[in-house]
Amino acid sequence: MPVRAYLDLPSKLALVFLLWVCAFTLSWTFQVSLCLLLVIARFAIPAFRPLSPRSATAFSKFIVYSISVALLVVCLNALFIKTGGTIATVLGFSFYEDGLLFGLKTASRLILLSFSVLMFFISTPLPVLIGYLQEKGLPPSLVLVLLLTLHFLDQLPRRIHQIFLAQQARGAPVDAGVISRTKALLSILSPLVLASIVESIERGTALELRGFLSRPAADRIPAQIGKQDNLLGICFYFLSLAILLYSIYRWLIA
Amino acid sequence: MPKSIRQRIAEEMTGAALPFLAFCIALNLTAGQITAALKIPLYLDSIGTILVAVLVGPWSAVICGSTANLLAAAFGNPTMIFFIPVVVVIGAFSGFLAKKGWFRKWYLVVIGGILQGVLAACISAPISAYVFGGVMMAGTDFLVLYFRSVGNTLLNSVFYQGLASDPADKLVSFLIVFFLTKNLPQRLLSRLRGAANVG
Amino acid sequence: MAHRLIIENLSLQYSSSEPKALSSLSVDVPAGSCCAIIGPTGAGKSTLLHCLAGTMHRQHPESVASGRLQLGETRFEGLPDHILFPVAALVLQDPYVQISGVRDTVFEEILFTLENLGAAPQNPRKIIMPLLQRLGIDHLANRKPTSLSGGETQRVALAAILVAQPSILLLDEPTSALDSNAQDKLRAILRSLRGTTTVMMSDTQIDFALAIADQILLLDHGTIVFAGSPSALLSRAREYSSIIPVESWLATQSFLTSLQTSSGHQKLISKALGLQ
Repeated sequence: MPVRAYLDLPSKLALVFLLWVCAFTLSWTFQVSLCLLLVIARFAIPAFRPLSPRSATAFSKFIVYSISVALLVVCLNALFIKTGGTIATVLGFSFYEDGLLFGLKTASRLILLSFSVLMFFISTPLPVLIGYLQEKGLPPSLVLVLLLTLHFLDQLPRRIHQIFLAQQARGAPVDAGVISRTKALLSILSPLVLASIVESIERGTALELRGFLSRPAADRIPAQIGKQDNLLGICFYFLSLAILLYSIYRWLIA
Repeated sequence: MPKSIRQRIAEEMTGAALPFLAFCIALNLTAGQITAALKIPLYLDSIGTILVAVLVGPWSAVICGSTANLLAAAFGNPTMIFFIPVVVVIGAFSGFLAKKGWFRKWYLVVIGGILQGVLAACISAPISAYVFGGVMMAGTDFLVLYFRSVGNTLLNSVFYQGLASDPADKLVSFLIVFFLTKNLPQRLLSRLRGAANVG
Repeated sequence: MAHRLIIENLSLQYSSSEPKALSSLSVDVPAGSCCAIIGPTGAGKSTLLHCLAGTMHRQHPESVASGRLQLGETRFEGLPDHILFPVAALVLQDPYVQISGVRDTVFEEILFTLENLGAAPQNPRKIIMPLLQRLGIDHLANRKPTSLSGGETQRVALAAILVAQPSILLLDEPTSALDSNAQDKLRAILRSLRGTTTVMMSDTQIDFALAIADQILLLDHGTIVFAGSPSALLSRAREYSSIIPVESWLATQSFLTSLQTSSGHQKLISKALGLQ
């Protein structure tokens, strides 16, 4: 069991915070190095391993996305922001220094920001995260909404498929022109939304009939989640603070 | 005494609203699959948010939109979290329009959808420009490229691109929600808080 | 502890422009007894149960009610404006919507009710497992609640309500999702509640109601056409053949034949229908 994988959830949150602070304060060379460290962490540190094949795919896809987005952002901005010296001219197109720098800054910041979020999510089971948020005071109604969403996400594709088949069986033209395809879209959404409202009313009543939300949150017992050693997390927060103070200091003397 | 945000949220989020909100979050995340299967070139990824805004209320719509984007990030699409401000505005604005009765007449829905699209473009332009450097890795990037090549700044280019694509998407979403709510039986509608918004 | 349930002159309209869904109902259900409401679809059975559970005002804010309700010592003029759980607890007709869908095992699903009440004990197993055993579903404790059959789901839904030890248990057509085997089990469970919980259930199948109830209410178009003991109803079966078709009575007869204890009832039906 991947107990180790989510044992340090608060520390992981603190790390995401630290990386976001870095993304807004440090130079792009630092940010690129941090991204490379995250790639290494994904393979070397058990707490950052993807929990499912799906998460592993998300990681690979993100790497491809990052490389392509970085190339495009850097090239396009170097091409269009025409200040600073010319760095290179290819096939009559000139690339400029300021644009290149803006592109590098933007791309590295974007990738570090999203990479930290991705690493957090691919290595944390959602139910554990929801349990943690509940312990930290997320209202029970929102916890219920989150859990019910996972339930609906599990069921929705199957229902859509069923309605799709039913419409096809009735001869609805799902492969024809744009107008009839839009009609087909409505004929799928209509029964789906109608059925969901009927079910929501029933489910809502059923929940209230079992006393849900009938008393203040303070009375509820918290979710059973192990006490975590948060020393690492505190270190990350201190580091974030130090980096913030340092960059404010540099900004003041500049 | 004016009600606090917490009270307003608590007022909206009872009974049938909770499962319906969950359904709409899931719908936001799956609508793209339906349009892809039907080869319709729209995302419609705020259709659930607009449904909640009309049938439940603005606060729930804000929660619906932001939760959907957070979950999209959790399912391997981390860049979605940067657009949370956009979906928050979509939820709040369409909820506001619904409260003003704009979902009762088709022409108001059309105007509302276009306004919503322009507003979404305004909010998403600075995000696209400064966080993404104008590159969304989508077909609309060519539009940005075109606007920049004719001499516009990055921010203006992504804003024009947004103006060219967002109003259409929001207009279709608004019209679909209008159609769906018009066709709901009154008996069911009356069980949701927003029944008066479409009556 | 079981509560006595008194309904006095209760009338209800879904809105002031609609006809009465319930009109001038008066019933007295002694504490710890079982009362079954029978009647055709649309007679007002579910409506009455929702009135007693306190959900009517929430679901139909425009509804207009008059009369009085008394649950134990608590009296209401008109209908209660809040859900009365856990004093009166309603199990809905569709068992599937009562599974919250947010808990991974049957055990946790039952625990969810206790958490809602803020009454989760130190060791919930000590309370939940005997209950599951009593309902014959202890082997399902670690199963996913959304993966169960209709009968199993029905019993999990019942357990999720019973764990709160309601004084008055309201069941809306509990047999509709059950095969005969599961009905037998449910009957045994309801029998075991006698004396400790007041039960009011609706049913379209009169055989199940007759086998379990101390008191029968025959409802038609929102009014009580008969109230009395099962044997009193059986002796007047012919009078109500327009509300409950003869086939139902015949089905009841063959059903009661299978229950050797109810041979007295069987004779009464035969006599009433002129079959002997």
